[in-house]
Amino acid sequence: MYLTKEEEKMLDGEMGVAAEAAMKILVALGDACEAKRLIPVSSVHISGGTYYALGDEGIEWLDGLVKGGAKCKVPTTRNPGMVDHEQWKEMGLTELLKENQGKIDNLYKRIGVIPINSCLPYLLGNIPLCGAHFAWGGSSGQVFANSVLGARGNREGGPANIAASIIGKTPEYGLHLTENRYGEILVKVEADAKKFDVTDYAILGYFVGRQVVEKIPVFTGLPKYLSLEQLRAIAYSLPVGGAVPMFHIVGVTPEAKDLNTAFGGKKPDEKITVTSEELKQTKEKLSSVGRKKPDLVCFGCPHCTYKEIKDIALMLKGKRIDSEIRLWVCTAKQIKEIMRRWGLLDIIEKAGGLVISDVCASVGAPFKFVEGVKVIATNSVKTAFYAPGTSGVDVIFAETNECINAAITGRWEG
Amino acid sequence: METLIIRCKRVVKGKGCGEALVSREPISFVGSIDKDSGVIVERGHELEGESIVGKVLVFPHGKGSTAGSYIIYSLAKRKKAPAAIINIKAEPIIITGAAMAGIPLVHKLEKNPTKVIRTGDYVIVDAYNEIVQVKKKIP
Repeated sequence: MYLTKEEEKMLDGEMGVAAEAAMKILVALGDACEAKRLIPVSSVHISGGTYYALGDEGIEWLDGLVKGGAKCKVPTTRNPGMVDHEQWKEMGLTELLKENQGKIDNLYKRIGVIPINSCLPYLLGNIPLCGAHFAWGGSSGQVFANSVLGARGNREGGPANIAASIIGKTPEYGLHLTENRYGEILVKVEADAKKFDVTDYAILGYFVGRQVVEKIPVFTGLPKYLSLEQLRAIAYSLPVGGAVPMFHIVGVTPEAKDLNTAFGGKKPDEKITVTSEELKQTKEKLSSVGRKKPDLVCFGCPHCTYKEIKDIALMLKGKRIDSEIRLWVCTAKQIKEIMRRWGLLDIIEKAGGLVISDVCASVGAPFKFVEGVKVIATNSVKTAFYAPGTSGVDVIFAETNECINAAITGRWEG
Repeated sequence: METLIIRCKRVVKGKGCGEALVSREPISFVGSIDKDSGVIVERGHELEGESIVGKVLVFPHGKGSTAGSYIIYSLAKRKKAPAAIINIKAEPIIITGAAMAGIPLVHKLEKNPTKVIRTGDYVIVDAYNEIVQVKKKIP
């Protein structure tokens, strides 16, 4: 990879320890991926905000960067952590976890990261527009920004995001280049998508992710108008099933006005179909345990949108959650405050639920730190996939309304 | 003992050797590997229950959550990391994690490593000279 004189100085450590560490990561990435040069980015979002992901070693690494003079050069936001500092007691978390997460939260603030503590940068003011280059971690946001917004960035790890923010640049390879953004596999949805709700879109994404692994799928057979939540469901679940970097939906997403454009004038490498039977089987496999009474019902992976919280609040209105069951609705601080103003927070809290901000609900979710939580129920494909491995809990995967009914009655219907 | 010499491309410098642990499935370091023991815990994964500690870990590429780089770094700090990693084609999560942790990482071998290397073979990864040596396990 070509480096400018200034970039070479940074790599050689002439401009501080932080710049050197950042350049080492960017150069390894650039060389391995055969990038010709570094290009400026307009937006950075950092994944790996949790104590689970960083651990004490990650904190040391971040602390070293701060001491080495690290500062964000471009607008930079970050993913959530494990602790809502205003409600950690109600969540049943320990003071030790609160302290460790607090260290990470402070270190990020010291390097100049905007503390949105959420996986929804594109709803919270960090929005790379069509054609802009970005460096984001967090697979769901990265796939969303490429596919739905038409901005350009690769799926990179949290440290690579921090490196990009410190230098203000990223290696030019992969999805930064037009020729790598075309579709590769045609996905014909034969199941009746008009009947799909948001969860079905997530199951579809997960199923297709497993099939295409790391290639770019092009969907046909989906409705022309898809909601934010439906598009996001596909975006977040594709990289749970595989390592899918982006997707196209013919007639919907910005780089797929028709089939030919989506494939860049080439023929698909492969065609696959998706039937309702396959989606049904996929859904069943996402639960790790039979339908029994959950200890915790968790929504908000990715973080809940306004509409999702409103829907949950309306389902809980005037109801009371079973006294042995916890109900968490995870979202961003900003969205939570708007919900409070709207009166919906009150409804959820009166029913016995908690609206939690700054907390991740899948990778690094603090489930295992809450006493007595062995079985969780969720409407999220990502929580269902990750929680057994990261938190050692069993998961029941179900629709939002089924989860809420179970939270109220302690039983599953049907 | 039969020995294979395979050329490769360097991603992260270094030299590492050990028994091979081969997966034909991609690996997500988040949720798939227990940081304290270095054992693969992803349910249904072909390597479920296997330890990666000190092994030459061979798999097609990474997958899943981008927090994986920190997991690789933590595994190294806890001395639970593989001795070296061989990918068919390395992707950013594994590259970044290996660069932070200083784990030798190579990819783009002349032959598909998940086919020519078997679990239990003794493998030397020389990322400086871009060479992988495989001493086949006696059946």
